Amino acid sequence: MLNFTPEEKKAALFLLIIAFCGITLNSLAKLNYRVKKLFCPQERLARIDLNKISLEDLIMTRCLPPKTAQRIIAYRLQHGNFSSLEGLKEVRGIGNQRYERLKDIFFVE
Amino acid sequence: MKRLFAASSVFYCLGIILVSLTRVSFWLILGLGIIIITAACLSFRNNRIFIVLVFLLALLVGALSLKNSYMRLKFHISNFVPYNDNTIYSLSGFVDSQPVMEQAGTSFVFRAQEIQANNLKWACCGKVLVKVDFPQDLSYADRLMLSGILRRPSGFSSGSRSYRNYLSGQGIYLTMRIKNSLQIKREGGKSGSKLIIFSLWLRAKLKQVIRRNLPDLPAGILSAMVLGDKNSIPWLVNNYMVKSGTVHILVVSGFNVGIVAFAGNLLLKIMRIRRRQRILLTIICLLFYCLITGASNPVIRATVMGIVFLLAYLLQREVDIYNCLACAALFILIVKPGQLFDIGFQLSFSSVLGISCLYPRIKSFLRLGNCKFRALRFICEGCLVSFCAWLGTMLIIAYNFHIISPVTILANILIVPLATLITLCGFSLVLCGSFSPFLGGIFSTTAAMFITLLLNINAAVIKIPFAYFYF
Repeated sequence: MLNFTPEEKKAALFLLIIAFCGITLNSLAKLNYRVKKLFCPQERLARIDLNKISLEDLIMTRCLPPKTAQRIIAYRLQHGNFSSLEGLKEVRGIGNQRYERLKDIFFVE
Repeated sequence: MKRLFAASSVFYCLGIILVSLTRVSFWLILGLGIIIITAACLSFRNNRIFIVLVFLLALLVGALSLKNSYMRLKFHISNFVPYNDNTIYSLSGFVDSQPVMEQAGTSFVFRAQEIQANNLKWACCGKVLVKVDFPQDLSYADRLMLSGILRRPSGFSSGSRSYRNYLSGQGIYLTMRIKNSLQIKREGGKSGSKLIIFSLWLRAKLKQVIRRNLPDLPAGILSAMVLGDKNSIPWLVNNYMVKSGTVHILVVSGFNVGIVAFAGNLLLKIMRIRRRQRILLTIICLLFYCLITGASNPVIRATVMGIVFLLAYLLQREVDIYNCLACAALFILIVKPGQLFDIGFQLSFSSVLGISCLYPRIKSFLRLGNCKFRALRFICEGCLVSFCAWLGTMLIIAYNFHIISPVTILANILIVPLATLITLCGFSLVLCGSFSPFLGGIFSTTAAMFITLLLNINAAVIKIPFAYFYF
């Protein structure tokens, strides 16, 4: 019954290691909340912080034409940080259609 | 000649390229084909002449197949609609793709079976790309009656890379925009393949398992890596991966097919099923996985290659990688010759060709086999595989995306092993999570940790100076 082939041994070992890591991480996260950062990706990895990004970086992302990027930064300098993403609609050159697309790219902390 | 099959497929591809660049008549190619067939029959005993004629014939078959793909049936839906036509047509048919739900609306491919205009009705065939301006709950095979204006797709950009050409490569020559819910009427019932309905249902269930166990971002990435569903990947993640040259890990490819074959074979082995039946069942698993992931070009390539390998193992025949690759290419190109110009097709085949062609040569040149430290050798071999794949695809990427990423090699060295672990964790999560939510929870934490690490590494490598540049 315990006569495993090398492949079976490798598969069993791999599954057990993953399970071991998973349970350990779950337990550590219960003890210390900071551990959760290890397996919950931060928002900044998936979206751009609208209030922190510089003009050069915004142009480099190529998600907007350079002129619109300049207008966003100018708007931020003039009116202060964006309080919500809805504020983007007030920037010239951003209509409903573009806003719908940008909503998934930016976030406001 | 050992690689007659591979060489013939190269000539087949050359035939497709030749026809796409010139305006040769179908009848001329047909006539030439008949002459060459006759000559080949007559020179059967002369090996050299025979092989040359076979290659020429392969070239003509490629040319003919592309010409044939351009021809549309008389009752094809595009033949009913003149240019700049504002007539409102009613179409009857069924949804022929998994509808893509977006915030602004829904889009899907509609297979028309009947067209009606000005109280006249005709039977028809062909596909229409439908864009609905509001969210609509639809699924594959739903029978619908649509009414609206049929338009030819706009070019967006000139040349062979235009949006119109992209759609025509998929057999779509018309689009319809639905602005009002009154334009869509459900007819009730289902059409389409029952096998595809089942595989899409299974895909949705497996996606649910992933979503239940992981937060949004890791779930989206894992769905792409395991199930081939790229809809939930954030734009920024995709953009960063394009820049670092690691976007290939978000696509289901040969590696995933290899895991399915290995896992299927292993499970059947544990169940003490005999070798012959085991191989046949593994082939069925591969075909089913291909359907679940949407049968994209890389998956079809890997599935065909996997099946050829398994059949060779079953029949105890030696496998030649080039013949195997040629077999996969021909399988795709016979059905859709226009796929030769698809970037996904080119990238998939060029990366495998790069690995199979360059890897053994560079490895023997560097004498990696002589390295005494197993771990070091393993790492070096992994790096070399990434490097060869990058060399194979570099020119195609540079030509199409106007980006060169020197950081690719470093990024791949760091990210590919992680992606391998994530894919393995993903398969474990999907398999175990389907049976027990508790087991799913255990595997999901490890997968999420690897995904977080991968995203952090990727974000860091593209910040290295001269990591990438557009031209």
